[in-house]
Amino acid sequence: MPPEFQKVMQEAFARVDWQGFDKKKVEAAIAEALASLDSVKLHFVENCVGCAACAPACPYYVAGEEYGPVEKAEHVRHMYRKKATILGMLLGPLKNAKTPKKPEDLDKLVELVYRCTNCGACYLSCPFGIDSGALIKGVLSSIVTKAGRVPVLMSVFEMVERKKLFLHVPALMQMWDETLRKASEAIGRPLPFDKKDAEYYLFVNLADVMFYPGAVIGAIRILDRAGLDWALPSKPLAFRPPIAAVIGLSKLAKEEMEMVVGEIEKLNPKKVVVLDGGFVYPWMRWQVPKVLGRRPSFKVLHITELVAELLKQGKIKFKKTSDKVTWHDPCQLARRGGVTEEPMEVLRAVSSEFRPLPHHGAESYCCGGGGGIGCLSMKMIEMMAQIMGVPAQMFLSGEKERQFIEKTEQAWALAVRRKIDDIKKSGAEIVTTACPVCMHSIEGGAQLYGLKVKVMHIAEYIADKLE
Amino acid sequence: MEYLGGAASDIYSFAVYRFFWIALAIFAFGSVYRIAKLVLRWRRVVKAEPRRRGVGTMIVGLIRTFLDPIIFSIKTKPYDFIAGMLALHLVGVIPLIFLLAQHVVFFAYWIPIYGVVAKWGLWIPLSMTTSTLEITAPIYPSSTSFTNTIWGPLVVILNGDVLAILAILAVAFKLGVKIIEQAHGLQHVRWSDYFSLGLLLFILLTGFMAARHHTFSAETMDVATYRTILGLHILAAEILLAITPFSKYWHLVFGYWYGKFHEWYDVRVQKGLT
Repeated sequence: MPPEFQKVMQEAFARVDWQGFDKKKVEAAIAEALASLDSVKLHFVENCVGCAACAPACPYYVAGEEYGPVEKAEHVRHMYRKKATILGMLLGPLKNAKTPKKPEDLDKLVELVYRCTNCGACYLSCPFGIDSGALIKGVLSSIVTKAGRVPVLMSVFEMVERKKLFLHVPALMQMWDETLRKASEAIGRPLPFDKKDAEYYLFVNLADVMFYPGAVIGAIRILDRAGLDWALPSKPLAFRPPIAAVIGLSKLAKEEMEMVVGEIEKLNPKKVVVLDGGFVYPWMRWQVPKVLGRRPSFKVLHITELVAELLKQGKIKFKKTSDKVTWHDPCQLARRGGVTEEPMEVLRAVSSEFRPLPHHGAESYCCGGGGGIGCLSMKMIEMMAQIMGVPAQMFLSGEKERQFIEKTEQAWALAVRRKIDDIKKSGAEIVTTACPVCMHSIEGGAQLYGLKVKVMHIAEYIADKLE
Repeated sequence: MEYLGGAASDIYSFAVYRFFWIALAIFAFGSVYRIAKLVLRWRRVVKAEPRRRGVGTMIVGLIRTFLDPIIFSIKTKPYDFIAGMLALHLVGVIPLIFLLAQHVVFFAYWIPIYGVVAKWGLWIPLSMTTSTLEITAPIYPSSTSFTNTIWGPLVVILNGDVLAILAILAVAFKLGVKIIEQAHGLQHVRWSDYFSLGLLLFILLTGFMAARHHTFSAETMDVATYRTILGLHILAAEILLAITPFSKYWHLVFGYWYGKFHEWYDVRVQKGLT
C-alpha cells in the first residue's frame, strides 16, 4: 500500500465512530446543520403537517413504515424545535423537541439516512412541496457523519477522491488507460486529450470507466461520428464527484467541485458532456453555481441531451432495430435534473420496439440504490478492496458496521422489487439507463427476482446502432 | 349591552365583540413573525441557467405541481384522500367556513364586501330542507339575496348539515389515524396534532349544535344556552385563527402556496421537468 494511502486510511478512520457518543461533536454538528438552513429548507422543516402523503412514494417505505420520508425528516424537526424554537426549548418532549442523547439514537439516525436515496419522489408527491430528501441527505446525513456514523468505504473514497489518491492506485489507472486505449482503437485515431478551446468536453470520471467502460467508448464514438470538436481529460479529475455530498459533507463537496470546475475551465471548453446520470449530473448542472457562487464558464449537458440535439441536427443517424428496449430514469437525472424527454427521443429513434416503463419520467420508480446505499453491500466492499489492493476488513470498522450493512442490503432487496416489477410489466429485454448505481441495483434486483434483462448504459447501447 | 336576552359579559359577546380583535392581532403578529423568519433566512444564490422548455410546458408544469400529489394520494392512500382532501378540505371545512349562510352573514358584518357571496348566490344553506337563517341569528339578512343560491339541486349535498357531518367524520378519522400511527411508534405524530384536530372537532361540533338548536324544544334549548354554544363555537374558531401562524393550519394561509409555487419554480421552471 502506498504511504499516501496509509495516511488517508488513517484520516478516514479517524472520523469513523460506530460505537461511541461524543456529545460535543454531536452538538456541534447539529448547530452547524441548523445554521445552514436557508429560507427554502426552513419551509421544508416548518411547514410539514405530518399527513404522510409522501410515504408510499419512498422506495424504502415497503421495508418499514418508519422509513417513510416524513418519518425520517421528522428527526431534523425534533432537533430544530429543540435548538431553534422557544416553545421547543421550554416544553421539550411536549413540543416533540429533542436531540440525540445516546449511541442508540445515532444508530437509529444513521439507519434512517441510509434508507433514503434522495430520489425526490417525496418532493413531488408532497402536497406542500416539501423535499424530505433534502433534509435527510442534506441535514441529517451531515449530523450523523460528523458524529462518526459513516461507512468506512465512503469515508475512504471521499478522501481518495478529494486528495486525488486514485491516481496512485494501479488497478484504477489500468482500467482508465485500457478503456481509453480501446476507445482510441474504436475511432481509429488518437484521442484529443486535454485539448484547449474545444466545443465539447467529455467529462469522464473513474467511476465511468469502472462501471461502464463500454459507455465511455460509445460516447467517444458518437462524438467522433458527429464530427464534433471535442476533448477529454488525459487523467481522471475525480472518482465520482462529489462523493463528499453523499455523506453530507457540504464544505468538502464544495472544495471538490471547485477543483473539478477549475481544472475543466483551464481548457476552456464551451460545453461539458456528462455520462453519469447519477448525482454527478445535477451537481454539475444545478448545484455548482449555487455552491461556488458563480456560473462556470461552460454549459453542462447529459450525453442523452447531446445525442437528442445531434439527431435533430441530422449529425448522426441510427440503424433502426426492433429491440425490446426500455429506459430507466435515474432519479438524479430526471426528478433532480429535469432530463426526461431526451433519452426517450433517442431510444425511439433507435428501436421501433422501445417501450417506456409504466412509471417513467417524473413518476419513475427509484431503484433503491442511490444515496450511497449501492455501496453498502459486502460484495461492493470486497470488490473495492480488491481494486485498492487492501483486505476487505479494512473497509469495515467492526461487527456493528457489518450488521448495519447487512440490514441495509435486506432493506434494499425489498426496495428494488417495485422497480423490477415495473420492468417486468414493460416486457423489455434490454434496460438502458445512465447511472452506475441504477445499473448495479437493477442487475442485482433482476437476479434476485428472476428477471432476465440486459442492463446497459444508454451510450453503449446506442453507439452500436450508429449508422 | 343586552342582546337577544343575553348579557354583554357572556361568552358570546366576549367572542364577538372582544376576543375577535385579540385573535386577529395575534394572527397578524404571528403571520409577520413566520414570514419574517423566512425572509431573514433568505440567501442570495447564483442559479444555473434554466432549461427552457417553453411557456406551455411551464403552464402544464404548474397544473401538475398542484394536481400530481392529489392523483398520487388517490392511487396510494384512497382513504386518506377521501377523509383528508375531500371531506376535510374540498367539500368539508373550506365551503363550510367560507360559504355557509350563517358565516357569510357574520363575515359580511365585519367585511361588508363579503356580502357579494350572498349577492351572487354562492352561499350554501343550513340544510337541504330549509334555506332560511335561524330566527335567533344575531344579524338578520337584509334581503332575500341570502336565501337564494345558485346551487339548485346540488344543495342536497351542499348544505351545512351534510358538510358538517362529513367534516366531523373526517376529523375523527384523522384523529384515529394519528392515534394508530402513534401506537406504531411513528415519530411524525406530534402532540400538537391532537390539539389542532381536537380544536377543529370542537368547532365543528359546537357549530353543528348551535345551528341545530331549533330542533329542540324551548324547554331544552333556551336562548342563553344557544348563545353559550354559539359563543363557544365562535371563540374556538377565533382561537384557531390566533394559533394559525403557530400551527399546522398555517398551510392554508402560506405554507401550501409557498411550497407549491417554490416547487414549481425549482422543478418545472428551472429544471424543466416534464
